[in-house]
Amino acid sequence: MSTPATTNDVAGQYGPGAGPRVEIVLVYQSLLGIYGDRGNATVLARRLAWRGFDAVLTVVEPGEALPDTGHVYLLGGGEDAAQISAVRALQADGGLHRAVDRGAVVFAVCAGYQIVGRTFTVGDPSVPGGEDQVIEGLGLLDVTTTRGPRRAVGEILSRWRGRDGQESLLTGFENHGGWTRLGPDARPLADVEVGIGNCDDGTEGAVAGTVVATYPHGPVLARNPALADHLLSLALGEDLAPLPRPEIDTLRAQRLAAVRARS
Amino acid sequence: MLRLDPDALGELVAGRRVAMVSGTNGKTTTTHFLAAAVREALGPDTDRLVHNADGANLHGGIASALGEHPRADLAVLETDERVVADLVRLGRPEVLVLLNFSRDQLDRNHEIKGLGRSWREALAAAGEDGPVVVANADEPLIVWAVQTARHVVWVDTATTWTQDASLCPQCGSPLVRGPEGWRCTGCDLAQPPATYRVVDDTIVRPDGTVVTPALNVPGGFNVSNAACALAAAELLGVGTEAALTGMRTVTSPAGRFGTVTISGSRARLLLAKNPAGWAEALPLATSATVVLAIDSAAADGRDVSWLWDVEYEQLAGRSVVATGPRAADLAVRLTYAGVEHRTVPDLAEALRGHPEPVDVVATYTPFQRLRKLGGL
Repeated sequence: MSTPATTNDVAGQYGPGAGPRVEIVLVYQSLLGIYGDRGNATVLARRLAWRGFDAVLTVVEPGEALPDTGHVYLLGGGEDAAQISAVRALQADGGLHRAVDRGAVVFAVCAGYQIVGRTFTVGDPSVPGGEDQVIEGLGLLDVTTTRGPRRAVGEILSRWRGRDGQESLLTGFENHGGWTRLGPDARPLADVEVGIGNCDDGTEGAVAGTVVATYPHGPVLARNPALADHLLSLALGEDLAPLPRPEIDTLRAQRLAAVRARS
Repeated sequence: MLRLDPDALGELVAGRRVAMVSGTNGKTTTTHFLAAAVREALGPDTDRLVHNADGANLHGGIASALGEHPRADLAVLETDERVVADLVRLGRPEVLVLLNFSRDQLDRNHEIKGLGRSWREALAAAGEDGPVVVANADEPLIVWAVQTARHVVWVDTATTWTQDASLCPQCGSPLVRGPEGWRCTGCDLAQPPATYRVVDDTIVRPDGTVVTPALNVPGGFNVSNAACALAAAELLGVGTEAALTGMRTVTSPAGRFGTVTISGSRARLLLAKNPAGWAEALPLATSATVVLAIDSAAADGRDVSWLWDVEYEQLAGRSVVATGPRAADLAVRLTYAGVEHRTVPDLAEALRGHPEPVDVVATYTPFQRLRKLGGL
């Protein structure tokens, strides 16, 4: 198996070199990369490679065009200024809208989640000139984000109705000041058992078609392989064989026990 | 955190010449370098120096070090980023060394810009009574934060970690990097020309003389730390040779790089608190078996997502032991990195049965436990 030179530059080929090609696009790592969410790209690429696919992981930075060949596009968490830069560059690029139109998957985490919604609010009321600003999002999801009454920081546990309707637990670490409300054209990804989620209303994340968004880091796909495989299945239009990895089962058991003990 | 009456800290520090060292990575070692340089210059009068050598760098730790040395007229103080503004106000330091400023604890990352702003404001308020700042010219957030200082001595530390600084702290535009260093594409913020420069394993001084620190702690990043300590020592009046001689006496500052015996195995302890620190520490871990210890106590950061920003792939083919309370998170990371490993959550157990010396890289809390286990 070929490996990328470094994870600091995760871009590269994963897989046997003779399998079906699947492209994962990591969007704006330099802006939306401070919370380890690039791990979601590593997870998807490896899970494809383990199954005999040739995963191509493309990292796109602002100023570079998003490729129109991706199967899954990933956005992660970042700070306010970075989030504004990212949304402006994505609006100018237009590639994410084209991706959704042709049925590709967009998976957005935290700041990325807010970016794909209708509007979000940034600002730091504690400093002069830091008044709230409402920023136009990409409108790929019918959600709006405003400043919450308090910052949501901590382990989160939610129940997701998985691909086949079976309930599956999602574990992660949420860290966001924005509170997100869903409109009629989006439905929640999961129901919160422990944590704040969208806006402390019992829901977490949002889904519309092939756009899937969520708050938790972890990275969330490292802790929740069922969700990772669901995204891959959505993108490929086929079910994937299970991939037992005892290390992941151990981690999940531990995180579930920890978050429930604290609540 | 013991939150003292600020006046108490002010009284304890009053009447002393103060040099402070802060930053995300390297502040303990750099403070040890600076204290050793000053001690060398003092000769037999070492009682004149107070140094919080154990790394207790919050209000309480600094106050207790000062309280234990009432007669010391020179204070070399490692200072947590959150205490810098207070100590600039209360301590009237002569010299303030600022090393770097990267994300550390992810669950508190949103505080970083606010901390930089607090430094700016404290330096502005201090005005002409403020410290001379020795600052890392490679770090945009530091360069922005010290714009209000009365005088800055810039050090080009040849830093290679750039992942935490992609946008201008002043205007939010993208930063670009070229042969002249970094600059903002939207405003005039740019890397300032340095007077001390790190070139490979040497330090170029302001007059162009080149010195080789020949330190007794490993890593290129420690040459950078030594360059900052040298600049600070010279500002305090320590001669170059005395400073270098002193810095060479530093071997395991607060346990870092120290070798201990735990559970019958010889282990060298390396501390890594964040992706920038891991990028420095992992290449130093050269033993056939490497032990990695992870926790998520408050001091480590409660969110361990940063594991995915560390290039553990470089350990492929080695024998790796994952340990600490968050060993399971590391195990999953190593699985996806294609690194073979054993998971042994208990630290003492993880150190058992290694016939050859092992390098241990640990986050803050397990590092302190390992020191204790090894009596260091």
